[in-house]
Amino acid sequence: MKKYSMAKKIILSLWLVLFLCGLGADAKAQDAQALVKASFNYMRGKTSISTVVMTIHRPDWQRTMTIKAWTKGQEDSIFRIIAPARDSGNGTLKRGREMWTYNPKINRVIKIPPSMMSQAWMGSDFSNNDLSKSESLINDYTHTITGTETHEGKKVYVIKSMPKPEAPVVWGMQKLKLREDHIFLVQEFYDEDFQPVKIMTTLQIRMLGGKLFPGVWKMQKSDVKDEYTMLEYKELVFDKDLPDRLLTLSSLKTPTR
Amino acid sequence: MHFQLAWRNIWRNPKRTVVIMTAIIIGVWSMIFLGALMRGISDGMVRNGIATLTGHIQVHHKGYRNDPVVENSMIDPEVVKTAMERVLPAGAQWASRVRVNAVANNARHTAGVTFVGIDPAREARISFIGKAVTEGRYLRDDDKYGIVAGKALVDKFETKLGRKIIMMSQDTDREIASRAFRIVGIFEAEMQSTEKQFIFVTKTAAQHMLKLENGISEISIILPDQEGVKQVADNLRAAVPSADYEVQTWRELLPLITAYLAIYDGFMYIWFIVVFIAMGFGIVNTTLMAVFERIREFGLFKALGMKPRWIIKEVLAESFFILLIGTAIGNVLSFLSVFALSGNGIDLSALASGLEFAGMSRIIYPAIYSHDVIVANLVVFILGLLVSVYPAVKAARFTPVEALTHT
Repeated sequence: MKKYSMAKKIILSLWLVLFLCGLGADAKAQDAQALVKASFNYMRGKTSISTVVMTIHRPDWQRTMTIKAWTKGQEDSIFRIIAPARDSGNGTLKRGREMWTYNPKINRVIKIPPSMMSQAWMGSDFSNNDLSKSESLINDYTHTITGTETHEGKKVYVIKSMPKPEAPVVWGMQKLKLREDHIFLVQEFYDEDFQPVKIMTTLQIRMLGGKLFPGVWKMQKSDVKDEYTMLEYKELVFDKDLPDRLLTLSSLKTPTR
Repeated sequence: MHFQLAWRNIWRNPKRTVVIMTAIIIGVWSMIFLGALMRGISDGMVRNGIATLTGHIQVHHKGYRNDPVVENSMIDPEVVKTAMERVLPAGAQWASRVRVNAVANNARHTAGVTFVGIDPAREARISFIGKAVTEGRYLRDDDKYGIVAGKALVDKFETKLGRKIIMMSQDTDREIASRAFRIVGIFEAEMQSTEKQFIFVTKTAAQHMLKLENGISEISIILPDQEGVKQVADNLRAAVPSADYEVQTWRELLPLITAYLAIYDGFMYIWFIVVFIAMGFGIVNTTLMAVFERIREFGLFKALGMKPRWIIKEVLAESFFILLIGTAIGNVLSFLSVFALSGNGIDLSALASGLEFAGMSRIIYPAIYSHDVIVANLVVFILGLLVSVYPAVKAARFTPVEALTHT
């Protein structure tokens, strides 16, 4: 298997909406559209298996959980909480644009209805929509490069993404910063008055799963201080063959995986 | 003769007569006026309920009322339309709608709403929305992405005309359908809860989003005359296939309001009785006083040969005059008060949130129902005469000897 770009589905799912990254940035990636798509693919990979520590921080409390995640292709993924023990076994399955959650305490799989799509995923700053509509950034926006910066000696493209007129997206604008090696640095979400709503940043870019990848992802609401959700990659493997049965409802209910 | 006697007698002590008359006037006024207020409140509730997308009669696919999901739509509404053409009286208006639960989103907010796809021209004739748009404009047939939202919702979403609202709901394939709409109009309604609950788009846009093709969720009918509702509903029920469709009147569709109406009816009669009991003691007391004051007089009548029956008649005639004048003035006053308020109503906007909890309108227009007025007057009149029988009988029983010894 060629190891070249994988994405963390987990992240991917989570961040889909949130950020995109450019891949295929070098050379003549002047075309913003291609840049975004390439980054997106770079971050995602064909399949990925990862272990992530998610920290939800609020002014008066903080919660940490460890999540194991498998992603396959562009749209399918499964997450399972493995720690703390109290939440262990809770899982989320995403196939296409549909999502299900499983709670071992009640032994029930619940399909997430439209009404819950905008709610927070597991109490974090990510919404279910952020997970389920990950492709939206590629399909629903028009991207323009508005400038360049440098980051750790590499060129960074600043991209303004405007939603297409009839696209069913809530944002008025997104601003992306993509490094020329396809790493997503910043994804910022604006409302229709172009006021920032939330911002996702990536930190600690290092070799992970055989390629350069940010080890920490941070999602923060713009108008409240001291509230954020942070994802920290502990393990990450890209492009390993995943059996089809892994991404099914029955697998969601099986605590062994 | 006793009428003349009675008339003169009641003005022998004008102060006392005026006092008891005032009691009757206030009693009658409060019965009729408060009755009219209560009727005004319940009328407002019914009017509101009917205009808030209920109508007099509704037709649904069987099961929609229990589970208002897109699967319970009427896929081919033609059957119902044909039946309606046959059954509905001239002047009846109807409109079909798509109506599902959905989620409205913008960048910062999200809310569960009732997503209604309407036929703009037809809908305007049967429900409140036609006249409710206060900012921007009402929907047009060709509005593919236009949406009309309530003021309360728009405020809550911190948005305004021209901004996007993303709607999400489940389509007929059980997938999540979403579509971006732009606010073209903002409506204001009698109740804030209505402004928050309903969001309107054109029927075609809703059908397209939910992949319904020609399917609709409900048909709402307004009849020219509310009295015939039950009959028309029965006819229509007989005319559509009963396995697939449900036909219901507003009384069945709004069970809470129907229950309120029954409670108000009962409450009003209890109120009448309470007022009367207070008033009745006043009447008995005054008449009794007037009788005891005149013991010697009654003794003299007796001695002159007046029959006890006549004395009873005479005393009752006194009560009769007092009651007649009292109720007449009371009626006039209550009509005047209702008339004075009927123009602008009683504006309770300051208490709107509390009133909404009870489903009441912000403005109450008192409404006089003839049977309430008749009942109020009859209660006062008949019971008033009835309680006067006691002092009258007392008066008739005085003997000349008793009267002589009375000082």
